[in-house]
Amino acid sequence: MSKLTKWAATGATKKVPFKIRENSEVMEGNHNKSVLVVGAGIAGIQAALDLAELGADVHLVEETPSIGGRMPQLDKTFPTNDCSICILAPKMSECARHPSITFYTNSSLASISGEAGNFTCSIVERAKYVDPQKCVACGLCEEKCPVKVTDEFDMGLRQRKAIYRYFLQSIPSNYLIDAQHCLYLTKGACRLCEKTCPASAINFEDEDREIVLNCGAVILATGIDPYNPLAYGQYGYKRYRDVVTSIEFERMLSASGPQRGHILRPSNGKPPRSIAFVQCVGSRDLGMGNDYCSSVCCMYAIKEAIIAKEHIKGLETSIFFMDIRAFGKDFDKYYERAESQFGVKFIRARGAEISGSNGNSLRLQFTHENGKRDTQEFDLIVLSVGLEPRKGLGELADKLNIKLDRYGFCQTDPFSPLSTMRSGIFVCGATSGPKDIPESVMSASAAVASCTRLLALERQEKLSRKQFPEERDVVGDRPRVGCFICHCGINIAGVVAVGEVVEFAKGLPYVVHAEDLLYACSQDCLNTIKERIKEHNLNRVVVAACTPRTHEPLFRETLREAGLNQYLFEMANIRDQCSWAHMDEPELATEKAKDLVSMGVAKARELSPLKRLPIEINPRTLVIGGGLSGMVAALSLADAGYEVILVEKEDQLGGNLRNIYYTLEGEDSQRLLQETVERVKGEKHITVYTNAHIEEISGYVGNFKTRLSFNGNRLSAKAGDRKPNTEIEHGVVIVATGAEEHKTKEYLRGENKRVLTQRELESYLANSHLPFLDLRTVVMVQCVDSRQGDRPYCSRVCCGEAIKNAIKIKEMRPTTNVYILYRDIRTYGLRERYYGKARDQGVCFLRYDLDNKPLVEPIDREDPESRLSVTVFDPILGQKIVIEADLLVLSVPIDAPAQNEELAKLLKVPLNKEGFFLEAHLKLRPVDFANDGVFMCGLAHSPKYIDESIVQAKAAAARALTLLSKKTIESEGTICWVNPYLCSGCGVCIEVCPYSAIEMKEETTDHRQVAEINEALCKGCGACSASCRSGAIDLRGFTNKQIFEAVSSVTG
Amino acid sequence: MSEGRKPKTEDQPWQPKIIAFLCTWCSYAGADLAGVSRIQYPPNIRVVRVPCSGRINPLFVLKCLQNGFDGVLISGCHPGDCHYISGNYVARRKFAILKTALEFVGVEPGRVQFSWVSAGEGEKFAEVVKKVTYDVQQLGPAKRLVKPR
Amino acid sequence: MASINEQLREQARKLLADKVVDLIIGYRKGSLPLRSTPYLVKTEEEAGSLIFDLTSSNNLAKYLPRVKTENRGSKIGIVCKGCDGRSVVQLIIEGQVKREDIVIIGVPCEGVVDTRKVRKKTGGEEVLRVSLPVLPGSGGREIMVEGRGFKITLDKEEVLCDVCLGCQHPNPPLYDLFIGRPREGSSARDEFKALEEFERLSSDERWRYFEHEASRCIRCYACRDACPLCYCEQCFVDETHPQWFGKGPDSSDTLIFHIVRALHTAGRCVSCGACVRACPVGINLNPLWVRIEKEVKERFGYTAGLSLEVTPPLATYDENDKQEFIL
Repeated sequence: MSKLTKWAATGATKKVPFKIRENSEVMEGNHNKSVLVVGAGIAGIQAALDLAELGADVHLVEETPSIGGRMPQLDKTFPTNDCSICILAPKMSECARHPSITFYTNSSLASISGEAGNFTCSIVERAKYVDPQKCVACGLCEEKCPVKVTDEFDMGLRQRKAIYRYFLQSIPSNYLIDAQHCLYLTKGACRLCEKTCPASAINFEDEDREIVLNCGAVILATGIDPYNPLAYGQYGYKRYRDVVTSIEFERMLSASGPQRGHILRPSNGKPPRSIAFVQCVGSRDLGMGNDYCSSVCCMYAIKEAIIAKEHIKGLETSIFFMDIRAFGKDFDKYYERAESQFGVKFIRARGAEISGSNGNSLRLQFTHENGKRDTQEFDLIVLSVGLEPRKGLGELADKLNIKLDRYGFCQTDPFSPLSTMRSGIFVCGATSGPKDIPESVMSASAAVASCTRLLALERQEKLSRKQFPEERDVVGDRPRVGCFICHCGINIAGVVAVGEVVEFAKGLPYVVHAEDLLYACSQDCLNTIKERIKEHNLNRVVVAACTPRTHEPLFRETLREAGLNQYLFEMANIRDQCSWAHMDEPELATEKAKDLVSMGVAKARELSPLKRLPIEINPRTLVIGGGLSGMVAALSLADAGYEVILVEKEDQLGGNLRNIYYTLEGEDSQRLLQETVERVKGEKHITVYTNAHIEEISGYVGNFKTRLSFNGNRLSAKAGDRKPNTEIEHGVVIVATGAEEHKTKEYLRGENKRVLTQRELESYLANSHLPFLDLRTVVMVQCVDSRQGDRPYCSRVCCGEAIKNAIKIKEMRPTTNVYILYRDIRTYGLRERYYGKARDQGVCFLRYDLDNKPLVEPIDREDPESRLSVTVFDPILGQKIVIEADLLVLSVPIDAPAQNEELAKLLKVPLNKEGFFLEAHLKLRPVDFANDGVFMCGLAHSPKYIDESIVQAKAAAARALTLLSKKTIESEGTICWVNPYLCSGCGVCIEVCPYSAIEMKEETTDHRQVAEINEALCKGCGACSASCRSGAIDLRGFTNKQIFEAVSSVTG
Repeated sequence: MSEGRKPKTEDQPWQPKIIAFLCTWCSYAGADLAGVSRIQYPPNIRVVRVPCSGRINPLFVLKCLQNGFDGVLISGCHPGDCHYISGNYVARRKFAILKTALEFVGVEPGRVQFSWVSAGEGEKFAEVVKKVTYDVQQLGPAKRLVKPR
Repeated sequence: MASINEQLREQARKLLADKVVDLIIGYRKGSLPLRSTPYLVKTEEEAGSLIFDLTSSNNLAKYLPRVKTENRGSKIGIVCKGCDGRSVVQLIIEGQVKREDIVIIGVPCEGVVDTRKVRKKTGGEEVLRVSLPVLPGSGGREIMVEGRGFKITLDKEEVLCDVCLGCQHPNPPLYDLFIGRPREGSSARDEFKALEEFERLSSDERWRYFEHEASRCIRCYACRDACPLCYCEQCFVDETHPQWFGKGPDSSDTLIFHIVRALHTAGRCVSCGACVRACPVGINLNPLWVRIEKEVKERFGYTAGLSLEVTPPLATYDENDKQEFIL
């Protein structure tokens, strides 16, 4: 307590008194619902958000001065080319706004003691020397500061000042002083910033603070560092200025980066004509100590190559690679498009050496797979650097007493991929190995599911913890519009004549107040808005600033704080869609800004207060599919104390896991199966229905109703039935329907008994015998029917499976020759070492191309058990070779079950082209559907390994818990409504509604059929409204009248 | 109407006024991205944000033409990308009929245009705006269906 | 063999006598030559006045929703030629009537006379007496019209409505009983023939045509009132919140009214021509209607009013719909 007092005495943040109270309560009552999350990258943010939604108090500790992690440094994300910061920013601001999340930036975890359920954590928050309460991030201090420092965020491509903001969209957005470089703090003289700061925010008396927290669990999300390629002397990094790392290149591509999105050669500032990407720098390279695959480099290189080509017309891009590891959902299609549509060149070769001189083209020497050396010249060479554990993880591991693996990643068990070796400390994101964004997001949610057991969380009563004043009733009042025009520093004011716009706004009908604000979103300006609402009795507010996509929630909250309904707000986008887009035409941009304000005001006049209805949440979950994923999801929910109905179509649990006997890492998967099934059966919260079929699903988030049938017989719920009630009410659905092995007819499958699938081989090997006694030569063919034709995706696990079985054969009988015929070996992540192990054991890998597939013929055509002759072109020898095989093993793809279509229709959720369930967002919402209350995991989503299925299953459970943990949630406010007097009952709305939210009801008075909208189901798309000929349906918040007024205000 | 109607002068080309209905999830985000990326495009469009291209009642377009906008742009998510699953598909049918009807009665092709722009296509958004602005500039001020005031 | 009219009356009497229906919507002779008038038959006696011939031009489906509302619980018979029958199908699809509440009495249609065309032939002179060929299949094509001081014989092809000339569906697609034999095939010319001339026109020429037509509109809404598919509780032009478009005679407002009516009937309109016939000032926007019908057929493969099983084209979609017009 003494430390806390000390901190309270010195501290100036608003969080201080709040925290002390919160913690003392916790300590007294011993109901710990606090969690410490270390690292605020995408994984840490996701974990914090999920935990907070579950009702936990989250303490988010971040080493750098902003939350966000690596994602803000990236330009785009594959395979959708979504802008990285754009998709992350809403999550960052959600994190910042959430009342249950406290974050400590520029901070680190100093020590930890205690045990699971009751840790005492000490955090050190390093002095920032800028009072965050006062700083408005105007940037004047930065202009004046005389010290230039290499910028870390921009990877050294730019200089920043000693007083700085970490990056443009930093949260918190305040400035801070770099104590190591500040003239005053190092040499005792300067204080220019202090003199310049109009807000008197500079505080040189600031000092480091220690904060002590009591937490039930700890989640590590420390992330990664890019590999430093200086060790590769042959590539001349730092010697040649035109050799850059991929992360530096991301900053070059970024529109908000140091080169404003222009790709320029560092040596001469000219755009390059050709760019080479050299893969596997610091990855898959035992010589450099990192013999793992970094999992993401192939894809990011493809992405960077595509985007670079979009930036510069006629640019040549070449990727020098060993294997293209496009193993994720929709990755292979992206790879294919890069080559065919964008003309990215793919050269299968290992980069050997870079030579040349600055300013001229660089010569890249490389070695083809056949050993031939070659040279090509490039203007710019990007080293695709691998991912390494975050610097300092070793030190942290020592403090926490957790184990790291030989690479320095946190060691986990494949079957409990989120647990460290110390109980109560969990791990997510790339802390335990290289991961892409969606895997990080999934593991973050999964870690949340793992720690619920340790937390004393209860179902939350209230919709929101934050208290707002009662809303003023403005219905029927004459509109009094307040108009606030934001400068956004110079972002808007540098182009648009803000003062002129303010004067213009003052003259608009019903506007009673207009003023300009420096940064409308800063706390002081938000306070100004609140004051003006009171002062002028405003009942509509228009803010002309950036974009409602990021800032509308913030301003709406401000209205609520001022006692106005949040929907009485409208935004005019005069930055993203005006000042930034018309920088060279200030006059026309100003005219446009006026029009946009005019449209905003016109619409605002027509706004009405909207209510969000409470929707009750039934705390029961329906899990569809009793394979590993379904069972793990069910167990995670049961662990948190929630009831689960687990429905399996077959007569027993286990799904595909029943056919997997051991993993690549050598773990016994049958043990996992048995333990999991037993746990499920013994769990009182879980009810299992086998032989069950989903007949019908109706309802909506919180209130689903599902009817089951058994063995194809629809059972009624009448008394005396031996089966329990077949109609289930539940609040959420988790889809874990799995997938199935593809049935191929290729390579004599079905004709010759010596042709097996990997799965069949595995069942022999698991029982310690070989399928044919005299087994001298085994040939495995990868990508059978896969990555081609109507199956353009990679099944992700087949390379690992083949290597797993090959190693097993070698272990059983080392003299057996094993050949693996492959297109790309995709043992991504830490699995790479098993690829190495297989080679060490003498497994022979032969690569083939799609246009040169292996030819398999029986040696004796009459004999269905004939040995086989396999002819394959060996690119290393450059000739065809013939292998006589005793056994041919086919790696067949994973198919989405045909029944997915039926279930997708019942749930009204989408499938991708290949029939797998399609998530709401490939990167950031990997287990959610767009439809609320429905989640997915496991093979239903896409092919994946056991450990990945476990992670996703837990993630689905955690996402479900964010709903289940609340007794009620709120409906959308902007939804459709029917005017029954205008409705003619034609039913077109029912047809076009994607959510089945509309039904026809008979009017009691005149028996007319009239459409009725279920407000809990309506998502507010407005398709019904636009289709309604009678004008009977309107969309609240986007009404016909509002739109009419907006478009009429600028033409009239 | 204000600036849009100023007579042409030698040095300043005629600036048409174009209304754009953008779905918030894709095209509006794409327009934001164009700005974030500082991609420059003509300042002639006035954007109305709607949740989905499926929200756009063809009557809105007629209203805008009647009100004297020189052009109308409607933009939504690419097929398959709709945040509301199928809003853009239903909209696509409506737009096809609207376009047929307008052009058949003699509203110049090019006055009303449609596009799919994703949240990641800032560049494309700018290209679309450039094209629509150029096309409308070629057509000159709107006269057909415009209601005299 | 008994004439169509005799068979019709006989069947109607039987339906009423057997209580299969409580009332029948049909036609009887109008007070003017070349005109028949809609007739609500409630008794067997009244059934004796029913007729069906070249003058039975009204689309009787128009009356169905109202008759249904005013006679709740009654079973309604309705005389349907091809276009009436297709309108009835649309009304069923759109929930305005229930299939089980109606009995469709199909009649084979040889087209209906456009009185304006006749008047043109008589040089504007009033027709006082008419003699029509007996339907159907009599092979009769000649129509004899008499007036003060003239008596001329016309070929029916010369005076049929434009829409009839393009008609592909002379029989109702759905019926419970049929009077006579359904007509085989259709004598009509190409379905979209009426368009050809228009499609040759330039955009400017079409604009001049439509603007001129619209400028003559007096906002009487006779077109809307004749249309069987204009059954909205309140038409968009009458709404005030928002007021979608002006209600006056401004040609922008009037043309937009007609364009919106075309949009609202797209994929539903069965080209019965009722709106064109109803117009007191003779505005002909039929080409626009046909153009949209053609677009719907070519783009979505749909023809309105032929089947109860199909979702109307603008209430559904196909992921592979053409999108050549989208940038």
